[in-house]
Amino acid sequence: MLEIRDLHATVADKPILKGLNLTIKPGEVHAIMGPNGSGKSTLANVLAGRDNYAITGGEALFEGKSLAELEPEERAQAGLFLAFQYPVEIPGVSNMEFLKAALESVRTAQGKEEWDSVTLLRQARAACKQVNLDASFLKRGVNEGFSGGEKKRNEIMQMLLMEPKLALLDETDSGLDIDALQTVAKGVNSLRSPERGIVLVTHYQRLLDYIVPDFVHVLSNGQIIKSGGKELALELEKKGYGWLTGEEESA
Amino acid sequence: MTLSASDLAIDLKTQALANARRHGSDGDALTDLEAASFPERKTERWKYTSLKALADGHLNAVANGEISQPLPALSEFVVTINNGQLQGSSLPAGVNLHHDAPVVNGLQTPFAAYNGAVCGQPVVLEVAANTRIEQPIHLQIQSASEAPAHCNPRVIVKLNAGAEATVIEHYHAEGQALTNAVTALITADNATLTHYRLQGEQANTLHIGTLIIDQQGVSKVDSYQLMTGNRLRRNDVRALVNKSGAELNMKGIFVVRDKSHVDNQLCVEHAVPNCQSDQNFRGLAGESGKAVFNGRIHIHPFASGTNAELSNKNLLLNPGAEINTKPELEIYNDDVKCAHGTTVGQLDAGQQFYLQSRGIPAAEAKRMLSLGFVNELLMALPDAAVTEWAQPWLEAELTHASPAGDAA
Ligand SMILES: Nc1ncnc2c1ncn2[C@@H]1O[C@H](COP(=O)(O)OP(=O)(O)O)[C@@H](O)[C@H]1O
Ligand SMILES: [Mg+2]
Repeated sequence: MLEIRDLHATVADKPILKGLNLTIKPGEVHAIMGPNGSGKSTLANVLAGRDNYAITGGEALFEGKSLAELEPEERAQAGLFLAFQYPVEIPGVSNMEFLKAALESVRTAQGKEEWDSVTLLRQARAACKQVNLDASFLKRGVNEGFSGGEKKRNEIMQMLLMEPKLALLDETDSGLDIDALQTVAKGVNSLRSPERGIVLVTHYQRLLDYIVPDFVHVLSNGQIIKSGGKELALELEKKGYGWLTGEEESA
Repeated sequence: MTLSASDLAIDLKTQALANARRHGSDGDALTDLEAASFPERKTERWKYTSLKALADGHLNAVANGEISQPLPALSEFVVTINNGQLQGSSLPAGVNLHHDAPVVNGLQTPFAAYNGAVCGQPVVLEVAANTRIEQPIHLQIQSASEAPAHCNPRVIVKLNAGAEATVIEHYHAEGQALTNAVTALITADNATLTHYRLQGEQANTLHIGTLIIDQQGVSKVDSYQLMTGNRLRRNDVRALVNKSGAELNMKGIFVVRDKSHVDNQLCVEHAVPNCQSDQNFRGLAGESGKAVFNGRIHIHPFASGTNAELSNKNLLLNPGAEINTKPELEIYNDDVKCAHGTTVGQLDAGQQFYLQSRGIPAAEAKRMLSLGFVNELLMALPDAAVTEWAQPWLEAELTHASPAGDAA
């Protein structure tokens, strides 16, 4: 469902991705690991279509369509979801109002039946419950004044409601204590299905104890330099990245 | 041929004086108008507001059109003034409507002087001492004229000692009417006034208005001033915080789209010790809209212990729009607290991307963020009836499709 071929991309004109290849098929869970600054978030943002992140070579196809030709909202409507590493705060726009607009647009685009406001509220409350977020968060401004962990759970809550075809989770585990980590992992696991692809970007292998990936990739200096099964994550945990990148690094 | 600004100023004054004399105006009102000079291009306080629209001849005719879309009543108690004339009223016990107007202090503009010289019958709403009026009083001030023409509503709200009331000063205008309004709010000791000023007149209308808040007693006034732009909107708001212990809060929202215009000139005069004032306004400009906010705080030599604040944050929706904001502090006493801040920013690209990344189309994301920008103030309105009316009004203004060719 996602086919990335020799992808080159710049952030603010600075080359970051330098020939990245990655194929994700429905039903698979992939983990992308790598040192700080290796380009993991850049990859996620390029796929989601952020301004200032430009594809300068190669291609990224989502269900056969070039992502470069789609607006960010069209990518979401096509079924792509990015859980941000740093979700922004939007004071004055309530979480509920935001979910309503997002779900209306995405569900309509995907030909799913429209949710009336009662259904929407019921679904949103259930999703909150699933990630251990009090329903009162629905009334607050989007991420406004949320703690780091609450922001991450809010991302997963949105993901549960949006039911994406492909979910990219950018360091959703960072800043979470072990209870929150398990809650989030449970939420993600509940979405695992034969039709859905999941990409976990993470710095630590800890998350992978709870969401067991089918494939693990190491991203370094804008390229995938090694791929393997879940045992690769354990090896990285023990040895760090230095043995792969040739640099000193303490993970 | 176009008229130069100084020729126009002379023309306006000649016309205004002729109208006043025909009206039978005399005494102080006429003297004031004779002494007034209409703004020219170089007049500092008017530098962002051109009066050239008035060359269409608004002062030559009196508005007398039918109000085709009258305002809905936002309360059980309503006073209706159409084209400057009192149309009808229903008022609770404790509020007396009469025409015996007190002198209004603090008027400065030539338009206010003109209003004083020609308005036949000022509407005075007087709230009896030690009386609490539960329901808001909805003042519907409406004007209509197909051709350029004007009217001069004049309203004075007077709260006697210990009175408490909510007044919704609500403007509506159609066609090419110019509403040249003067409103004064006068509060005695221990009075509490909640005031709204809602200005949503149609695009081709003009509004030149003066609002005086005269706190003669130790009183509390909360004033909420919400407005959209039209062909010309000029508000001169002057607050006289005149008795120690008085408190004034003004909050406002202004939205200008397309080619509309809003010029807010606010001035809070602190003449006595130990008063508090706060001004908190948010502005939004899109397309070729132009907004001006000048917030003046004048702290006189004797006004020690003054606590005065001013904040004006603005959002430019596209590069063609324009907002000029300026705090203007004149402080002649060292023992005061005075905080001020004004900003002009753009929609946050990170917030916009976040919304779009959840499938929300760009235009809708902009609308949501714009509304979010003013929402805090909107949600702070104490009367639900006003919020219910104001929210869809501002939402529609923020949603409205821009004309083809303009960047949304
Ligand atoms: N907005 C930006 N402007 C300039 N450089 C950036 C920007 N965002 C990220 N970078 C740079 O891109 C590189 C990759 O960053 P990132 O993708 O965030 O790494 P990771 O997520 O793997 O830690 C880093 O060198 C970082 O400094
Ligand atoms: Mg990152």
